[in-house]
Amino acid sequence: MARAFLVRLGQMVLVVWAVVTIVFFILRLTTGDPARLMNAPGTPEEVITRTRERLGTDKPLLAQYGDYLVDMVQGDLGTSFRGATPVADAVVAALPNTLMLAGIAVVLAAALALLLGSLAARRPNGLLDRAVLAFVALAQATPAFWLAVILVLFFSLRLRWFPAIDLTGPKSFVLPVATLVITLSPVLIRTVRQSFIETMGEDFIRAARARRVPEHRLFLVHGLKVAALPLVTLIGLQLGFLLAGAVVVEAIFNWPGIGKLILDALASRDFPMIQGGVLVAAVAFVLLNLIVDQVYGVLDPRVRVGPR
Amino acid sequence: MPPTDPPQTPPLTGRPDGLSRRQFLKLSGAAVILAACAPEEVVSTTQAPGTTAAPGTTAPSATGTIRFLNAENFWADWSPYSSTALSQNRLERQVYDFLVDYPSGDISQPAPMLATEWSQVDELTWEFSLREGVMFHDGQPLTGEDVKASVEWASDPDRSAYSLNWLPAQVEVVDALTVRISTEQPFAAMLPALGWHTPILSAAWLGGDQERLAGEPNGTGAFRLVDDQVEAKTMESNAGYWGGAPSVQTLIWEFIQDPQTRLSALLAGDAQVIDRVPPEQLGTLQGEAEVQLVSSTAIESINLFVRPGRLPLWDENASFRRAVNWSFDRIPLVENLVLGGSAVAGSFIPTNTLYYQQQEPAYAFDQATAESELAAAGENPEFELWVAEGFQPRSVEVVQAMVAQMEQVGLQPRVVTTDIGGMVDDIFSETGTGAMYHISWATNGDPAPASAVYSSAFAWWFGDERLQELVELGATTLDPAQRQQHYEDLQAHMWEQAWHVPLYNSDFTIAHSSNVQGITIQPNVLKTDFHQAEIVS
Repeated sequence: MARAFLVRLGQMVLVVWAVVTIVFFILRLTTGDPARLMNAPGTPEEVITRTRERLGTDKPLLAQYGDYLVDMVQGDLGTSFRGATPVADAVVAALPNTLMLAGIAVVLAAALALLLGSLAARRPNGLLDRAVLAFVALAQATPAFWLAVILVLFFSLRLRWFPAIDLTGPKSFVLPVATLVITLSPVLIRTVRQSFIETMGEDFIRAARARRVPEHRLFLVHGLKVAALPLVTLIGLQLGFLLAGAVVVEAIFNWPGIGKLILDALASRDFPMIQGGVLVAAVAFVLLNLIVDQVYGVLDPRVRVGPR
Repeated sequence: MPPTDPPQTPPLTGRPDGLSRRQFLKLSGAAVILAACAPEEVVSTTQAPGTTAAPGTTAPSATGTIRFLNAENFWADWSPYSSTALSQNRLERQVYDFLVDYPSGDISQPAPMLATEWSQVDELTWEFSLREGVMFHDGQPLTGEDVKASVEWASDPDRSAYSLNWLPAQVEVVDALTVRISTEQPFAAMLPALGWHTPILSAAWLGGDQERLAGEPNGTGAFRLVDDQVEAKTMESNAGYWGGAPSVQTLIWEFIQDPQTRLSALLAGDAQVIDRVPPEQLGTLQGEAEVQLVSSTAIESINLFVRPGRLPLWDENASFRRAVNWSFDRIPLVENLVLGGSAVAGSFIPTNTLYYQQQEPAYAFDQATAESELAAAGENPEFELWVAEGFQPRSVEVVQAMVAQMEQVGLQPRVVTTDIGGMVDDIFSETGTGAMYHISWATNGDPAPASAVYSSAFAWWFGDERLQELVELGATTLDPAQRQQHYEDLQAHMWEQAWHVPLYNSDFTIAHSSNVQGITIQPNVLKTDFHQAEIVS
């Protein structure tokens, strides 16, 4: 088990290193010189050169990469090109905000999926099933950025129930979380519904029914345990989507998270901040996937990582 | 992610290693309950006015606090001469002062600021008397040495990004409160350079630790910086300000990229002032009783700047240049797309510039003339027209409208849409492929910097020696009447040569809550001043 864990840890480090490396080179090989962007066209070349020296972008590419790796291993993510803010401070401050947002959204989306998916599966093609599928279709077709704006217009500006932007307290969570839940849940609901329908047709359910196990117990105990398993896998697969969706939501709600940090840094070619944000997001992503895999192994004894 | 191992058959005897599902679920549930019972540690972005914000937080809207949402990133640090980023320029005016001010925005009407009076000693020298009793935020008094250090740094082409607004200058400290500034040539734009591009810093700070200079501004301005985040700058009223302490206690400048988010924040009361209202939002805000709009025609030329050497026919053939200028209509661009205070360009320098003169003919869509000029040109090559999305409002729509008419005439533009970083790269790249660029050039209202962009110091110069001569004459002629004549000649020459394609002067619109009064906004986009701002009930 320990060996398997170490192997898995090594794979995670490799993934993070690959992501960081790709982002590092893409940033520097694609368009946009930060030194020029900070200065008006026509600024003397000496000033541009001095700016590059100050930013560290005057060195050969591989030298910059080597410096970056050495610093990263020591926990130094560099200084933002915009001002003198240490990148590590900024990303450490931003990460919990994104994790809270995404975490709450995942829990609520999963709960909604279990509720609606199971209710829909009780009577396939019934009235409730059709209503749930209609909601799923509508929610799946709704872009997150549009939904976020509509929610703000109605609940913040019209009703004044919730703040339009910022993280100022519990009420701030409502609209951003609602946006993520509505955009994340359709796939989960469909999966749970289908899984329930298939599970309730399995032999062990028929056998239990033959033993006169009450229908509600069949559904909520025997069926739920098996039907919910794909949900865990799907959440793991949706983590990338969730992080991407969080970027949009964070931008619209001015949520002080990693997504907004990276987005703002991209516009100004703030290489250290982009790299720091991506690094933290990549680490969070692989760790969460590890947790999901471990959880799945606990929930389903048939799936276990490592030797017995 | 690597795939998990295939399902394994559980042993027939005993419990599998590790937690059972029941145990796991129990522990998870207990953890959730414990977490819910724990004291709430929401990472708050609120704070009481006048206190220091924790990293990554911003202050709420409350009495005594004005939150200004910016449209432009804070590109640079607090070292004033290290970049010409517009957002930083505007921000610096809150914490730094200048020798002279332009309270009305009229470039011909300078007013005392750190200098109380001034006179021209000779063609090359100005003398300034400094205001007594002015203190830097660190408690040190302002002296002539500070002015000397600031001006010489700002005008140094090897060190300063602002040197393009200056001629190299030397400063003599006559006494603690008197300085003389000299240049090697007559410098007609001395006062605008001092008033717009030369914040006065402490000599000790300028000569000291540069990292401290970049991270901790020490000015004499109405506000002091108390918290510096990448996207949010929190300032507080300087109680000892020589011009009287601002009545607003806390001023927050924050960058929010999305214009819809800025608008929502203003309408929800989460911000008091928003920057650069895009055209599509003007109608919404004009109907709001609790919001006021301030629109002006910015001192900012939006042109199709043509890169010399990229389109040989353009460099050599005036007929081809005229064909392009007659191939589309500018009026619908401002009236239907850009809106607000935008105005059709009548010259190559912006409308509100000193010595501006409307030029003739006024270019408009004239298909017959355009086709005739195109035929006279003899060739009709394809060319790339680059536009940056998300920088100037509706830039892509503007270019698309122009191109539709250009194609009607028979021209062959190929539009390349990118972001501002990509466009800047292509402009300066030796392998760049763009011929024309939809770009803005904002200045302070003096014709010297407005016309300098077309000179040999910049990438847009076609080797026109007459143009260069007129630019230099305008910059170094002190007599107002002669200077005016030079700039009128320059504008006429540029209009005739048509090295670039004039489009319009941009709109500059800011929106603020009706209970916020006294904000000074000027069309040269350099000054958004909150010194006199107040929140009224």
